[in-house]
Order: sequence, then C-alpha cells, then structure tokens
Amino acid sequence: MKIGIPRALLYFYYGPFWKSFFENLGCEVVVSKTTNKAIVNQGVKNSVPEICVPIKIQVGHFLSLAEKVDFIFIPRMISIRKEQFFCPKFMGLPDMLKHSLKYPEKVLSCDIETFTDNICHYKNYLPLTEKLGVSQKAIKEAAEEAEQKWLNFRKITQLGYPATKAMEYLEQGIRPPKVEFTPGQIRIGLLGYVYNMYDPYISLGIIERLEECNAHVTTFDMFPEVQLKSMTKDMPKVLFWTFTNRLLETGYYFFNSGQVDGVIHLTAFGCGPDSFLGKLFELEAEKTGIPFMTIRVDEHTGENHLVTRVEAFTDMLKRSKAV
Amino acid sequence: MKIAFPYMGTVLVYKKLLQLLGHEVVVPPRPSKRTIDLGVKYSPEFACFPFKVIMGSYIEVCEMGVDAIVTSGGFGPCRAGFYGEIHRRTLHSLGYDVDVIVIDQPLQDKNFMQKVRLLKGQNSWLKVLQAAKLTYQLVHELDKFEKQIFRLMPYEEEPGQTKQAWQQIQTQFDQVFDTTGLKKAKKNAEEILKSIKVREVPEEKKIRIGLVGEIYVVMEPSINMEMEELLCGLGCEVERSQYLSEWIDHNLLPNPFKKSRDQIFVEKGKPYIGLTIGGHAQQTVGAVVDFKDRGFDGVIHLMPFACLPELVSQSIMPKISHEHDIPVLTLAIDEQTGQTNALTRIEAFIDLVKNKKYIKQPA
Repeated sequence: MKIGIPRALLYFYYGPFWKSFFENLGCEVVVSKTTNKAIVNQGVKNSVPEICVPIKIQVGHFLSLAEKVDFIFIPRMISIRKEQFFCPKFMGLPDMLKHSLKYPEKVLSCDIETFTDNICHYKNYLPLTEKLGVSQKAIKEAAEEAEQKWLNFRKITQLGYPATKAMEYLEQGIRPPKVEFTPGQIRIGLLGYVYNMYDPYISLGIIERLEECNAHVTTFDMFPEVQLKSMTKDMPKVLFWTFTNRLLETGYYFFNSGQVDGVIHLTAFGCGPDSFLGKLFELEAEKTGIPFMTIRVDEHTGENHLVTRVEAFTDMLKRSKAV
Repeated sequence: MKIAFPYMGTVLVYKKLLQLLGHEVVVPPRPSKRTIDLGVKYSPEFACFPFKVIMGSYIEVCEMGVDAIVTSGGFGPCRAGFYGEIHRRTLHSLGYDVDVIVIDQPLQDKNFMQKVRLLKGQNSWLKVLQAAKLTYQLVHELDKFEKQIFRLMPYEEEPGQTKQAWQQIQTQFDQVFDTTGLKKAKKNAEEILKSIKVREVPEEKKIRIGLVGEIYVVMEPSINMEMEELLCGLGCEVERSQYLSEWIDHNLLPNPFKKSRDQIFVEKGKPYIGLTIGGHAQQTVGAVVDFKDRGFDGVIHLMPFACLPELVSQSIMPKISHEHDIPVLTLAIDEQTGQTNALTRIEAFIDLVKNKKYIKQPA
C-alpha cells in the first residue's frame, strides 16, 4: 500500500515519526517533493483566496500526491498541551481537504490529542487499523519503533540544527556535533512556525541567508518543549494555540535573556494567530529595546526584498555591536 | 463605576443588565466610519474585523471617560478569546487608565468570582438574580419581535414604517425596570406590530433568505451594510442563524430536555465538520442545511475577512450548496466601506434565487 505524506505544515516537526511509522507497517511512503512553483500554483487555484499561504501550499502538496498513492495522511491536530489547541484551520484541515477537493476517499485521518508534543503514542493511531488492514499490535510496535526515530530527530535539532538539516543527518544515521557560537558572529533569534522557516519556497532560504551574513540563528524548536514554559507565567491568559504559545515563550526568552542581538519574526500573509503574536512581540521589543523586524511572506516570490532587508538588519546589528 | 461594553446587536440588553445592577452605564456610540478608522489604526493589520471595530469602540468609550469595560472571553481555538488581552494592552499603551474585565467560563478562570463580585457591587445576590432573570426575559421578547419585524418588512405598504416600528419597540423595552413593566412593554409592542400595514403576498411567491456566519458580522447591522434591511428591501424575508437569546440558551443555560437551535445546527453540520473548531464554523455549516430543510430559498454567508474558522466553512460551502441544492453567497466583511460591489452581488444573487423559485412554478 502506498501512503503519501505532504511535505508541508507539521511535516517539518513530525515528519520523521510519520514516515518511519508507516514504513514499519510495511507501507510504501511517498513524501511529496520540496515545494515548487507548480505545487504552489495548484494550491492557490484550489483553495479559497484569502486563506493563509501554508494551507494553500498544503493543498498543492495534497494534489501533487493524489494520483500517485492510495491514501494521503492528513491527521487532525487537535491538542498537544492541556487546554491548548491548534489553529482552527489545522483542526478543520481533513474536513476542508475532503469536502473541497476531488479526492475525498484518499484522505487518511485520525485525531491527535495528547498532553505533550510527543504524539507518538499508538492509541492516537488506532483508528487507522481498518483502512490500512493491520492489527492493533502492529500499530503499537510500529509506533514505538518510530518514536525512537523521532526522539533522535528532536535531539539533533536541539543541538542547534534546522529541521531540514536534522532530517538529513537522521537519514544518514549521523549524530553531529553541537553547533557552537563563534565570537564575532551576531546572534539572531528567528521566530516562525516550522512550516514557514523550513519550507525553502516560503522562507526563501532565510536561515542560509542569515548564515551567509555571519549570523548564528536560533529557532524555537532548538529548545526542549517545556524549557521555556516559565517565560509566560506572568500573563493572565496565554495564547491558546500551542505552537504560537511556544513562539511567544521563545520570543520572551530572546527579548529578556540577553542571549540574542536581534529578533526576526517570520510570518505568512493572513496568519491569524500571528496577528496577535506579532503585536505582543512589538510591545515587548519596545519595552526591552532589542532590535526587532517582521518579515511577512506570501506566495509571491520576489526574493530581493528579503535579501535587502536581511542584509540591512544584520549590518545594523554588526555596527551597533562594534561601537 | 462608569462601565461600558462592546457594541453588538441590540445593545439595550447589556445596558439593562448593568443598569439594573446600579452601575453608571456608558453605551458606546453605534460603530461609524470614525470607529472603524480608529480601530484599524490601532489594531494589528491582520487581526479579524470584529477585533478592529471593537477596538475603535473601546477607544471611543475611553474618550468618554469610562473606568471599566466588560466583555466576554473564551479559551480558543478562535481568536476572539484573546481579544480582551490585546485590547487591554493596546488601550494602556495609548495611555487610557481603564480596566478590561473579561468574563470567562467559571471553571477555567481562577479570578471568576472576583470579577463577578466587582460587578455585583453592593447588591444582594437576590437582586443580582432578579436582574439576570429580567434581562433574560427581555432578550427573549426582543428577539421574538425582531424575528417578526424582518418577516413583515419586505411586504410593508409604506417604506420605512417597519423600521420605525422596530425602533419604537426597542424604546418600549428600554423603559422596563421590573416584571410589570415588561408585560406592559410587550403589550405595547404587539400593538405597534399590528399597526404595520402589509400587502398580501401568496405563499409561493415569498422568498426567504437565511443569514449565517460569524456572530459579530451577522448580528451587528452597522458593519454588515444593514444586511437584513437590505434584503427586505429586495423583497425577501430574512432570518439569522444567531440571536442573542439563543446564544444564552446554548452557552449559559443549556436545557437537557430541549434541544437548542445551536445543537440542531451542530448535528446537521457534523457530516461536514467533524468537531468544534472554534467560532461558529460548525453551526454555520449546519445552519445552511437547516435553512434548506425548513424551506428557505437561499443563504447569505457572512464572515469577517481572514476569520480562521469561517475560512474552513467557506471552503466547504460549494459542496453543501451543491448537495443540498440551495444557493449560497459568501461575503467577506472588512474595513473597506465601498458597498456598491457587494450590493451588486447581492442583487444578482437574489435575482437568481427568485428565478430559481419562480421557474419551477406554473405561470
């Protein structure tokens, strides 16, 4: 049986687990290609105009797989922290793909509801037994084995590697050395969702560009899940989307720890949770005086503006550091 | 304490409750161009439209010198639950010393009782209960009359008469302070309703339109181009999917023996959206099906620009429309006030709905 996994959205966080999980079950796994112009065009054409770019791209990936595989795995991400949820678009994603595209029978879905970001527990995946024709025991064993792979992946990212790099190391079975900060570099905190930062089409390779400018880049997924939780303990009410909340925690850490020289918020056009998150960052940046820049990306691809802004930002930081 | 609240729908209800508790109530001005301009200026660019309007409204009441603003909360996943936090921070950064009191579900909010006590003031609990009960009855009566108004308006003999009648009815209820007053107001309102002259229209010629979507843009006429009046003007009866009384019945006082309208919507929406994804997406989808089942001829779906849950329902709308054979027009509402574009689309839509209905009938 062929299972398709779109290289979009949370693939950049859970991909290694899902891929290995289905492989362990004896399925052939097809991961869609890295986002390209054709995929984006398909996505834009087949989704409602004002929805955010990551969802459009997900639609594009879904369609690029639809003819090639038996099922496409679209989990319904509900919650991975107590009393917190995902953005409504994630929660309605299987419904949206089922009812707005031509391939309702291809959608393979199960509800993910856990208390930590470890979603590897086999019980989440039991609803798949029927469609895949496997036993509960097989699911349990496959999930447990895949969990090790995912934990490894998370460990590599926590050494300071971007998810895409970490996936390569994982494939090769290499445990790379910790990324060290070399004196003379500037330290940038990059705040953005995994599907924006690591999709080279959306981010236009912002991490590499920053590294070219001799910057040491830190992102939220380089921290263990709960390490920064205390950063938001003073808020009467935290944001109720888990990944947004983790960005908020990481952002507050960047602004208040003195560990970074500048902060960049990478956000996609039309992102609902980010409209509030960005405002909170703006207020915090004003308070702490740490340089802060928002980069908003969409399905258009002019990369010159990005290069100019990234260079200007890093130049400014370098100068203020030298003075 | 000078208290204000966000502006939505028939505001006299909130005003009444706070008044009965003995607070000095500041009713925010009806959202105008200025409100929206202020809101847009001080809100994040991609915040949803209701957030911006309410932001503007708050700034206006702050200019009028209020001490506190009372609003409802929520715990996601829709953005509305976080409005209060961002509004408070923005107002403080603008230099207004105002308290934004967010009333959340008692179980999740540890400061719930403290907030309630603040609003309760010196009143006895009995008084609070009486005030709440009276307001509750008031909401139900008002909504009943409102529904009738928009059923009569398309057939009025004198243009504008029904609108005037609706204002008179609201004035009647504004003067209610106890149960006897309520009875009297009800009687007067019925008289007013009877005085509206309407022309006879045969049942098969009547066009009924359902209005579904996100609660704020559905309930607040000043920002949805007075959609109900507009549709009545085109000769259609209108019913909304959201009324304040039903919201209260569903969210605050669920009755285990009687299904609320929202529950029916949720059941009918389940095949399309499997679980509550925040906001009213599931209800929106279910309401379309429900309107069809009740013999309505078309549905207008209103959503604020970039509303997260409604984007999901919008994606599914073409399929429902097709499967249930009911025309649906989705309109995104935002701060652009040029209405001609939307007006043209609505007129064209209503023409299509009428054609669809009449063509099936023998001449």
